[in-house]
Amino acid sequence: MTQFLQQLVNGLSIGSIYALMAVGYSLVYSIMNFSNFAHGSVIMLGAYFGFFSMTLLGLPFIPSFFVAAFGSAIIAVSLERLAYKPLRDRKAPFLYFIITAMGASIFIDNFVIATIGPTPKMYPQIFAQGPIMLGEIALGRIDLAMFGISAVCLLALILFIDHTKMGKAVQATAYNMKASALMGVNPNFVIILVFAIGGALAGVAGVLYGMKYQVFPQIGAITLKSFIAAVFGGLGSLPGALLGALLLGLIETFVSGYLSTQYRDLIAFLILIAMLIVRPTGIMGKNAEDKA
Amino acid sequence: MEYILGIFELSAINLVAVLGLSILTGFTGLFSFGHAGFMAIGAYVGAIVTARLHLPFVAAILAAGLVAGIISIGIGRLTLKLKGDYFCIATMGFGEAIRLILNNWAWVGGARGWESIPQFKGISVSLPFIVAIISVILVWNMVNSRQGRNMVAVREEELAAQMAGINVMRTKMMALVTSAVLAGIAGALMANFVGFIAPKTFNMTKSTELTIIVIFGGIGSISGSVLGALLLTALPEIFRAFSDWRLVFYGLAVIVIMVGRPQGLLGGMELTPAGLRKAAAANKAKAALLAESRAMEKRGEI
Amino acid sequence: MSAILELNGLTKQFGGLIAVNDVSLAVPEGGIFGLIGPNGAGKTTIFNLITGVYKVSKGTIMFQGRPITNLEPYQIADSGVTRTFQNIRLFKNLTVFENVFTACHTSAHYSVAEALFRLPRFAREEKAIRAKATELLTIMGLQDRLDVTANNLPYGLQRRLEITRALALDPKLLLLDEPAAGMNPDETNDLMRLIGEVRDKFHLSVLVIEHHMDLIMGICEQVHVLNFGCTLASGTAESIADDPKVVEAYLGGEGKKSC
Repeated sequence: MTQFLQQLVNGLSIGSIYALMAVGYSLVYSIMNFSNFAHGSVIMLGAYFGFFSMTLLGLPFIPSFFVAAFGSAIIAVSLERLAYKPLRDRKAPFLYFIITAMGASIFIDNFVIATIGPTPKMYPQIFAQGPIMLGEIALGRIDLAMFGISAVCLLALILFIDHTKMGKAVQATAYNMKASALMGVNPNFVIILVFAIGGALAGVAGVLYGMKYQVFPQIGAITLKSFIAAVFGGLGSLPGALLGALLLGLIETFVSGYLSTQYRDLIAFLILIAMLIVRPTGIMGKNAEDKA
Repeated sequence: MEYILGIFELSAINLVAVLGLSILTGFTGLFSFGHAGFMAIGAYVGAIVTARLHLPFVAAILAAGLVAGIISIGIGRLTLKLKGDYFCIATMGFGEAIRLILNNWAWVGGARGWESIPQFKGISVSLPFIVAIISVILVWNMVNSRQGRNMVAVREEELAAQMAGINVMRTKMMALVTSAVLAGIAGALMANFVGFIAPKTFNMTKSTELTIIVIFGGIGSISGSVLGALLLTALPEIFRAFSDWRLVFYGLAVIVIMVGRPQGLLGGMELTPAGLRKAAAANKAKAALLAESRAMEKRGEI
Repeated sequence: MSAILELNGLTKQFGGLIAVNDVSLAVPEGGIFGLIGPNGAGKTTIFNLITGVYKVSKGTIMFQGRPITNLEPYQIADSGVTRTFQNIRLFKNLTVFENVFTACHTSAHYSVAEALFRLPRFAREEKAIRAKATELLTIMGLQDRLDVTANNLPYGLQRRLEITRALALDPKLLLLDEPAAGMNPDETNDLMRLIGEVRDKFHLSVLVIEHHMDLIMGICEQVHVLNFGCTLASGTAESIADDPKVVEAYLGGEGKKSC
């Protein structure tokens, strides 16, 4: 029983990072209707931003988070302005966006490899050593922090989306960009806002990931899992992304705990494949029929 | 000298894979993130056939294409009905799944890879070139047939293609299987060229590289793919010293191309006499139309 | 005169919205039949149901006496029903010739293998459909623009090209979705003549959705009026024009939202 609860805790904490990543990605998808495959690179940069602000700038823990979130937001918005906006203005076919996103991701990832170098870096020790014990279950301090910070961020996001005027504007634009533009919502502003929020979430996720594991240029690959989580929960649905991410984290942890770590990554893909066969719109996804 | 021959051989091998992907992405408009997976299947099948079964290289090539093709039918059944984004993510998933399975399969070397695979020597060194040439011819023949035109129609306007009596699912499947067979063959050639394979060679970066070559050469152009494969295989070798920056350049190039010149080098055009004539005729017709409407404007009809 | 197309109790529901509600009509063979109604009445939805783009919720569609309900779109096109679109869906980056040449594929039967290895059957049939495409384009008056990219054609010619492409499949029934959209009176007249000629020359039947009353009155022998997915009236063009219910629907009655 303790094993089970322990795994539950582990699964939820990794799931919470996936949630940050998946929600950011789903947010952009819901507005732009395309998968920003460069999202992973932004997460990776967030990890590096946090690392450098702690080591080079010597900033304490919390401000480093903000630096990372801010830096990642800027990168995400720049990407949008420099690469995606020209395509949007040209009404380029959907294929071009994905290709460009891939190009951006390769550019950023390898730029980091070529400049900073591929050797992984370790975050400085932030928390005291040793887990907090709850009965017989060990709650790693980092895991608790991850879960807590993710929860705070996601809560803030929900409050923003549901209870502020800007948040409502985002919702409206996600539903129908043209109609909300006619209602006075500036779509450009919403797009920038959404990319900024997505980027900020990515930055935080990057720092958390770097804290728990290491900082290396290939962190972007992990984000594949966030796509899977988002698809699992239903592309374009934020609660779906959250749910999908937590479930993915739990399933991965249980498989790796009870079966074998070797199959941990494979399981994510098998879930994806199963999902796409059985219910492509995901757990909470919407149905859409192409109108002629 | 041998070094230069090696570059050409590698270009030929990449060309075969790129031609396949060109059919899928360039001509049919399906964007696959997992094509390296089919190369991996081909490479490992080829390795098994030559290293374990001690059969000739040609057998490896045929077996590789066959197995990759069959597996692609299964993958196609599951993924081709998905729309745009989902298809991309699905192919990504399959590509990675294949890599991970190979990573964990001790019999074929697992993550460490498989060494001492028989390599091309003597006359068999010409195999990649022969295969590449045959591939170009066959792909050309396919593109310039009703099946190929149907693929382009699906890329252009899927709904209209359906209304024009095109069995879209079957067309997409044909494109996928063809591209998988070619990727598998390329994988086998790669195995016998390098003599060593490992799952990490066939990762998402490899899939993306292939796509970048297709885009760079130009969507919907076979000559573009040939040129692209040659340039983007040879150039990095020449600039070996800057190998760290190779992918940085690729990534940037993709963005610049997509934003600035999305048709790549030769998008939609072919470097043949007929192709050049067609491009010239299209330009001429467009100019004539422009002149006509200007004249109408002058006369006050518009 | 027998009916080439019969809709019986056709109904389409999207969740809670009933887009097409129990519509029945019969298009006589060789006739030009009009389908009109205010925006949102369900006309294009009916086209989508006939051509298999949407699945039918209730009812049947009979073409030449055989059911085509819920067949795959390409099968329906193959049986002889083709269409044009409200917002013109040409293969934009292909030339005029290529648009029609591609659509001629149903007249060739060579296999992939025969294409790959350039066997005699390929050469023979390619030549035949190439000739067919050229002939069709000449009949439709587009022979001087074969190499123009479809995107660059003037609007009126784009419509004509779309109709030509639809004809390449040797249809028996042609569905035209607002072919006169965006046309001035002269162009509309040309189009009317073209539709009549096409019907006569190719021995087919035409079902046309239109808002331009001149076109409807000018060429449609019979007209079916839809409103909010339901049949409002059906009959000859003259009787429809005088029907007070139709007039009210177009000019806006009290906003009745159901049948």
